[in-house]
Amino acid sequence: MAEFSLIGKSVPRVDGVEKVTGKAGYAADFSLPGMLWCKLVRSPYAHARIVNIDASRALRLPGVKAVVTGKDFGGWTWGWMPATRDEPPVAVDKVRYWAEAVAGIAAIDEDTAEEACDLVDVEYEELPGVFDPEEAMKDGAPAVHDYAENNISVQYHWNFGDVEKAFADAYIVREDRFATSRATKGYIEPPATLAYYDPSGYITVRAAKQSPYFHYRHLAACFKLPLSRVRVIQPYIGGGFGGTKNDSLAGDFCAVLLSKMTGKPVKYVESMEEELTTSRRRHNMITYSKMGATRDGIITAIQHKVIADGGGYTAVGPLSLYLAGFGTTLPYKLDNFKYDGYRVFTNNPMGAAMRGHGVTHTRFAAECQMDMIADELGMDRLEIRMKNSIDNPAPGTTYTTINGVTLKTCGMKEAFRQVAEPYWHERNELPKKEGNISWGVGVSGAPYLTGARQMGHQACAAIIRLCEDGTVNLITGATDCGQGSDTVLAMIAAEELGIPVSAVISQKVDTSYTPADPGSYGSRVTVLGGQAVQKAAQEVKKQLVEVAAQTWKVKPEDVDIRDGMVFVASDPDKQMPFDRMARVACYSGTGAVIMGTGYSTYGLEPLGMESGYGNAGVSYSFTAQTARVGVDLETGQLTTQSFTIASDCGRMLNPLLAEGQIEGGAIQGLGQAIYEDFIMDKGRTLNPTFVDYKMPHSVDIPEMKLIDVETNDPDGPYGAKEASEASHVSTPPAVICAIHDAAGVWIKEQPATPEKIVKALKEKAKEKAQK
Amino acid sequence: MVTFYRRLPKFDYLAPQSIEEALALLSRYQGSAKVIAGGSDVVPKLKRRAMKGIDYIVDLKGISGLDYISYDGAGLKLGPLATVRAVERSDVVLETFPMLAQAAESMASPQVRNRGTVVGNICNAVPSADMAPSLLTLDAKVSVVSEKGSRTVAIQDFFTGPTKTVLSADEIVTGIEIPNPPANSRGKYIKLTPRRAMDLAVVGVAVMVTPENGICKDLRIALGAVSPTPIRVAQAESILKGNKFSDELIDQVAEAAAEGCRPISDHRASAEYRRDMVRVLTRRAIRELLSDEAASAQGFGKGA
Ligand SMILES: Cc1cc2nc3c(=O)[nH]c(=O)nc-3n(C[C@H](O)[C@H](O)[C@H](O)COP(=O)(O)OP(=O)(O)OC[C@H]3O[C@@H](n4cnc5c(N)ncnc54)[C@H](O)[C@@H]3O)c2cc1C
Repeated sequence: MAEFSLIGKSVPRVDGVEKVTGKAGYAADFSLPGMLWCKLVRSPYAHARIVNIDASRALRLPGVKAVVTGKDFGGWTWGWMPATRDEPPVAVDKVRYWAEAVAGIAAIDEDTAEEACDLVDVEYEELPGVFDPEEAMKDGAPAVHDYAENNISVQYHWNFGDVEKAFADAYIVREDRFATSRATKGYIEPPATLAYYDPSGYITVRAAKQSPYFHYRHLAACFKLPLSRVRVIQPYIGGGFGGTKNDSLAGDFCAVLLSKMTGKPVKYVESMEEELTTSRRRHNMITYSKMGATRDGIITAIQHKVIADGGGYTAVGPLSLYLAGFGTTLPYKLDNFKYDGYRVFTNNPMGAAMRGHGVTHTRFAAECQMDMIADELGMDRLEIRMKNSIDNPAPGTTYTTINGVTLKTCGMKEAFRQVAEPYWHERNELPKKEGNISWGVGVSGAPYLTGARQMGHQACAAIIRLCEDGTVNLITGATDCGQGSDTVLAMIAAEELGIPVSAVISQKVDTSYTPADPGSYGSRVTVLGGQAVQKAAQEVKKQLVEVAAQTWKVKPEDVDIRDGMVFVASDPDKQMPFDRMARVACYSGTGAVIMGTGYSTYGLEPLGMESGYGNAGVSYSFTAQTARVGVDLETGQLTTQSFTIASDCGRMLNPLLAEGQIEGGAIQGLGQAIYEDFIMDKGRTLNPTFVDYKMPHSVDIPEMKLIDVETNDPDGPYGAKEASEASHVSTPPAVICAIHDAAGVWIKEQPATPEKIVKALKEKAKEKAQK
Repeated sequence: MVTFYRRLPKFDYLAPQSIEEALALLSRYQGSAKVIAGGSDVVPKLKRRAMKGIDYIVDLKGISGLDYISYDGAGLKLGPLATVRAVERSDVVLETFPMLAQAAESMASPQVRNRGTVVGNICNAVPSADMAPSLLTLDAKVSVVSEKGSRTVAIQDFFTGPTKTVLSADEIVTGIEIPNPPANSRGKYIKLTPRRAMDLAVVGVAVMVTPENGICKDLRIALGAVSPTPIRVAQAESILKGNKFSDELIDQVAEAAAEGCRPISDHRASAEYRRDMVRVLTRRAIRELLSDEAASAQGFGKGA
């Protein structure tokens, strides 16, 4: 199709009005008659043996209906891979992080449930804790899990090419230590569920999950039910960003078990402080980076040793650690790469997935180090990137990295070209100093993967059913957790069928009716869900065209559908509005059931997690970014003035949404770069509120200029690739490199807070004085 | 046990119609009753169970005539229900006491400022209370009543420790009086925060200076978030008073202000950084106040 009627247009969100008028129903908005409230009793220790739990005082409180503890789950544990199933729904004999759940209470209302928490008597034997991953790896450190030697939860050792030789041959070699912070998603909807285990043996839950099918499998396994007896219904989701809402939480499991015990529906809603204290966060990772380059600035080798703070359980950690390694061979050519990754158990809250998953840590290290090398070589920072960046493969060809990642399109170099002009303008023409403020400009490049592969079920599927009123029911397993995928999938269906977006009625996930799907996970929905919808819609179109051909007694090839009309191009008499043709199909003869199905076929090989070889995703997006940042040299305060972001996200299916995502990713990256960090004291989070866990507010956001670098990837519907995770990854290095450009100090540990900057400036002044 | 509460604890909500009625309730419930105005400090504290033993909430919002902001030529009077937002936008405040409006504007978000009161801010008495430093430099006086009688407390004597004031449980603040500042004086509040809005002060510095022919006739410096209470630093003030302005003396004042505070290290900042910033911001405030363009200047975040 040469011309699209919808693809590439800024169609407004299909759920926008419902959301802004408060009509959209989120998990916490649902209630059922006779419903009980669940509240969790949580541990005041980060590491302790549970000696005894006595709930008798709580059970005597009027209104309390049941109490569950870890033992009631019969020893069941779960995890992302069979080998890492180390997490019980509720702690059984030991708590491994501060405020881990030890019991769940069901009571007639939330006040009573809260009151009863204080009446559960738990006897603990406190154990020495370990809170620093590097300490945790040492011999003799307290063991978080008995099965993990030196507290190592996951490790990978990959070696491609010959780094030793490359370092020996290099003109310049740098070694530095970088660290990322304990960042979190910061969505505004904390986890919530409404669960009912009906006495006939069926579980129905409405839960805030961005991957409802993961939850569905967890519940079936935990309660030893066939999957057909578990029904997860997806309400509107108030943000996801990975981690917590991909997984199942103590409150989810307790609500179901308490419902089973009481025969009543049970609701669980987390407080924001609870979410910020206990939920899965981004791993903070330490990267020891060694980089070698030639005299001309060609990067010849990278060696990374990564230590990730995994917290108390494994969760999705194997993937996080894998992605931190895999991503290093993009977006620059690299012949020698060695990776030693360790995810380490500590008594901190769990490290897990979050937007920019894995790649953000090591890309930050590599981008900063590239600048250090460029500076030492007296080379321009943009030039070194242009020189090293991977070229766009000629159509029909593939570029393969040293670790087997294959690219069919790569807009990296073009993206750098696109940001060059603003970069030079900001560097050379705008003021360098104004009062106490020193201005600097940073530039960075970043990749991200589209459609993270899974260890198990991979594909997305779609069913489209034609209704007699000319609308279509779009049934997928995809979850719109705020990214706008319901809109994009509806656009794809409408594009293929030649009908308006308003004629596509999207159904939310209901595991009883919708096809299984990994959910919003690893930037997959638009590309994989989109392909499934595209195929299903093509199927529906074929069937309806068949009916039209029979009706008009023409060949199906002569019939087409566009702008809501079914027509024969060569015969103006033969045309009919789509809804009338739908009725013809439904009512004539036996009455056809017009229904199309489709499933995605991109990227089916499994992940090579042990070898580190092969693809992590279907395709790869790229961003080049500049940032202009002002540093107050006395207070360390930052003014983030502007971002220019050129992104190759294949083809933008809906620029309004894609740009919103790219900007959102960058803003979240800005938070990570300069504000966000959980301050910890022996496993306890000291700043579990949005007053003290600081995310950027609207007034902190720079001017943003976005540039679209279109590459049209063959492995994506209409050429689409991932949008927003790459801009999330490119932002922290761009900002931190800009701070260096402005103030001459490297802040190698995120976030670059005013205090860290002042400290670095002081040290620099001291060094200078000594010289 | 660690419980994350979503619900408020149980209490009786009392809505007196007059100050007398409110005072009677406070004296009847001796310490188990708490006054609220906007409730923006009290409600989150109740929810976190950071305030124990409160069985009664005495809401002043039902009492009419307490939201006044009035100016009588000699000074400004703020009623106990005057909101932060009202002070920020009041013409007379903007004209006569711009530093107060500026401090008000630095707080929280418009929503919280519409709810919170200036009196509530000082009665809550956290070291970082944003209204405190400016009121300290303005020598404000706090009017207090109880069933036993009334008294006036100088703001310098009002704060006794973190979240502690001279108020006893049966007392209510009925207003703040702010005398006219010295002729030709100008003041400025600089609030140091990582973000541009919705942040609590890491350091707050209020400076009021009265220059006359290059001589410092009067200097008042108050600091927030760097001692157990908001404080004035008299020692620092005295260095310049009566002397000619010079960079050297200004540096000495800044140094003395930094010496004069007792910051702590917490999750917001280290003591060392806070002390350093008192030095930087005191110097910056004085310098900016002395330069003409800065006469009506604003704090950081407003293009300072
Ligand atoms: C999101 C958020 C952001 C905030 N940001 C800031 C900020 O940037 N800077 C800042 O300084 N504060 C901030 N605050 C705190 C708070 O909003 C202010 O301190 C506000 O001025 C309090 O006023 P209020 O009327 O709401 O006080 P209330 O909560 O009603 O009362 C506070 C205290 O004062 C007492 N009290 C109130 N009125 C009287 C009276 N007439 N007599 C005797 N006692 C009285 C109460 O008993 C209580 O102890 C923030 C709060 C929130 C929730």
